[in-house]
Amino acid sequence: MSVTADARAVAGSNAVRLEELRRFLEHEAELLDERRFDEWCDLYTEDATYWVPASPEQENWRDHVSLFYDDKHTMRVRVQRLNHPRIHCQSPPSCCVRVISGVRLDDVTTEGAWLVRSKFVMVEDRPGNPQRVFGGRYSHTIVQEDDRLRIRLKRVDLTNCDQSFPMLTQPF
Amino acid sequence: MAGYTSEELRAMVQPDRVHRAIYTDPAIFEIEMEKIFRRVWLYVGHESLVPNPGDYYCTHLARQPVVLSHHKDDGICVLFNRCGHRGAKVLNRERGNAKVFTCMYHGWSFRPNGALAGVPMRRDFPEEPLADPQFGMAQLPQVESYRGFVFASFDPDVEPLLDYLAEARRGIDELADRSPAGEVALSAGCHRYHYRGNWKLQLENLADMYHPAACHASTVGPDGRQFKRRAGDEGGDAAFFAPNGEAVVAQTGVRGLNNRHSSEASLFDKEQSGGHWDDYRAIMVRRYGEERTADILKNRRHSMTFFPSSDILLAQTSVRVVRPVAVDFTEVEVWPVRLEGAPESISDDLVRFVNITHAAASFIQSDDMEAFERCQEGLRTQGTDWVLVARGLGAEIDEGNGVFFGPRSSEVGQRAQHEAWRDLMGA
Repeated sequence: MSVTADARAVAGSNAVRLEELRRFLEHEAELLDERRFDEWCDLYTEDATYWVPASPEQENWRDHVSLFYDDKHTMRVRVQRLNHPRIHCQSPPSCCVRVISGVRLDDVTTEGAWLVRSKFVMVEDRPGNPQRVFGGRYSHTIVQEDDRLRIRLKRVDLTNCDQSFPMLTQPF
Repeated sequence: MAGYTSEELRAMVQPDRVHRAIYTDPAIFEIEMEKIFRRVWLYVGHESLVPNPGDYYCTHLARQPVVLSHHKDDGICVLFNRCGHRGAKVLNRERGNAKVFTCMYHGWSFRPNGALAGVPMRRDFPEEPLADPQFGMAQLPQVESYRGFVFASFDPDVEPLLDYLAEARRGIDELADRSPAGEVALSAGCHRYHYRGNWKLQLENLADMYHPAACHASTVGPDGRQFKRRAGDEGGDAAFFAPNGEAVVAQTGVRGLNNRHSSEASLFDKEQSGGHWDDYRAIMVRRYGEERTADILKNRRHSMTFFPSSDILLAQTSVRVVRPVAVDFTEVEVWPVRLEGAPESISDDLVRFVNITHAAASFIQSDDMEAFERCQEGLRTQGTDWVLVARGLGAEIDEGNGVFFGPRSSEVGQRAQHEAWRDLMGA
């Protein structure tokens, strides 16, 4: 195979891979939109972190507070609470839609994890409350585990991360 | 004033009830700004926010923009964030450092103590007003600091800060003493949330040990334990219900202090232990000795709330600020505290666990905000004018120095807040 053909083949396989990753991100958004929180949690590895910093360009969770900084255990507690019949701040529940765009494969780490970046908008409606719109960037670190894709790290950088918020109940 | 006499305002607070108008009437909110927020000591910020000369931190007191600043000779200052010339807000970023604070409108500049530093094309002004401090960035009439916690008052004749805090100053001592250096730093930013409700709903909630069983039901797992809210092996997640079926938290007592402040007793009966905690404890023992360390680390209180707008969360090693914006809109900040001289990992854990308990997205705060908003909505109804605050009335135990202990999630703390409200508003 010539060098050019080789490069074309790599580019082609990357395009296939990117399409697979994009579908995976949309699947995650769909599970959250449909409030299938257990299945959503199951997309994450056991050593996963779900992180929403509270400061722009925040480097770590130690030096500054975060809106969410959940390990898998905390994610499970969060989901358990979202499923609880007496979660008052979800009575009635929110109805959300998440729209993802601009998905790109940013890097492949030496451990074979894909770093995928995208942009999103989330609209949240809850009866009796003003409509809320959130937007920002997703950074997913995705690995292959037992023949399926799983998320090791999801970082959500909201455009208004350092502002005051009304109650937040839905993962972004 | 605005349709209410002092007598009418006084009558809105009765021994076991308060009138709903104190939460819903915009005219009363305006009187509160005048008679409470411009008369007492208000927490502004902590000195660790402005460690170096030229550092500034912008915030609001009684809806007015103010600046906590550090002047090289005068030390900590609290200024109105207003240009002495035509009134524009001078500093427009929350934090920063500058030799002089320069107004964007005509370029007037001010030193960190508020003194006028520069006026473009100065010779066209008469000199007399330029020499008048009120045309600098004016300072708040009273500023005092206690163990790094800076308070200010709009009232030049306000009593000394420690007289105002009285027994509640212990909350600051108990927090700062947890640092082996006796110093804390508010260096990890803050959680900010807001709700469509009156500021007193949050303040009263800070003395409310009665609500968790109902309000926070969703935080209790199938095993009957609440999520782990502190680091270490012990004193983390805890059984939510006692053997008799009552919530453990509701069996906890509350104190009213000096007819204005309040304090919740601790939910935890064990000192934390395990993990980094043992290293931290060893450092504390070297600094304070065993007996004093055991006393400092004893789980004495859940919180100490200073009327009208700040709170020390001993359980979460944090400082909370309640900021009234309108009669039905309130902003709140929660600042985790780093303990100077303690292992970094201890402070890291404090920052991390406050995310779970007090972020806008936290397991606890979201249901409290729901409760505040539902109160605001319910209190608009005209069927009953009175709000009952009678729990444990008559069962208080006088502990001396103006401290009254109310066992079993007594509403003694809310009653103390309302007494302060009545005395200030009825004056």
